[in-house]
Amino acid sequence: MRAIMVLFYASFIIFIGLALIVFVVALSLGLIQPQDINNLLLSIHDSFYAKVIIVLSGILLMVISSSFAQLILNRFQREKTIAFATSSGEVTVALSAVEDLIRKLAGIIPEIKELRPDVIATKKGIVVDLRVTLKSEANIPELTSRLQDITRSKIQEVLGVEEAIVVRIHIAKIAAIEEKDRKRKEGDKEQASIPFSGYGSA
Amino acid sequence: MNKEESYTDLGTVRIHKNVIVSVAAIAAAEIEGVKRIGQDFKSGMLALLGKKTNSAIRVDIDKNGEVRIEIPLVVKYGFSIPEIAAGAQDNVRNALEKMTNLSLREININIQGIEKGE
Repeated sequence: MRAIMVLFYASFIIFIGLALIVFVVALSLGLIQPQDINNLLLSIHDSFYAKVIIVLSGILLMVISSSFAQLILNRFQREKTIAFATSSGEVTVALSAVEDLIRKLAGIIPEIKELRPDVIATKKGIVVDLRVTLKSEANIPELTSRLQDITRSKIQEVLGVEEAIVVRIHIAKIAAIEEKDRKRKEGDKEQASIPFSGYGSA
Repeated sequence: MNKEESYTDLGTVRIHKNVIVSVAAIAAAEIEGVKRIGQDFKSGMLALLGKKTNSAIRVDIDKNGEVRIEIPLVVKYGFSIPEIAAGAQDNVRNALEKMTNLSLREININIQGIEKGE
């Protein structure tokens, strides 16, 4: 049923596309004159029924386009899930939800400036691709190993899945320490270097 | 079929799908770790207009009167999804059985997203 609907919507959109192409070609070859278009618009303007037909066609086109979009979006959403069964029914977890979960990990590890996860569910297990932007003081081997462990354990803890989880990390950028952070660090150093600075303040 | 019917000595009692949706939404939202009920295209558009609906919850009633519910949920960060899902399924089942006497075939949970808890 779904395939028939997709076929119907696709053929409808292809038909409109072809009609537009034919129109543009005819216009460029001079088969349709600007005067013809002008006459058509004038006749639509003068006729009440023509206006009604145009409005209804517009509404029909919008309804068909939005249903097609919804159908396609639903199909993609259905495919991109991790599912497990319980006694009451099925539980599906959208891969975007797992991505949300991983994105939150950036807050746990201070060396990470930005984290962009991409989660794929395969028959062999879950594959997590992480594109990471690091702060410049980070030790990459230690950090990536820690990030892989945290990501794997967090997914297992939250999803309760026993499947293999592969975490691939790609360091996309190493950002310089921001001016604000640097000033704060320098401020901390200066404050730490003043001996007996606590005297007299109480 | 939009309504679940039951017969009494005095007449027929019809429970609309929207009632089942509302009970399921309230019962699911009661579980700790559930942030909110998820959205679909229609409820998302209505939310933009400031109207809150639970139309993303889908209820199917078959010819035998058995009900199948699909509930999209957004959960809070830091909670175990299997525990939340099982809790929501149990709570929805209990609430619907208590309030409507419906025969539930499946309660499917769809975790749409994870958001920061309050």
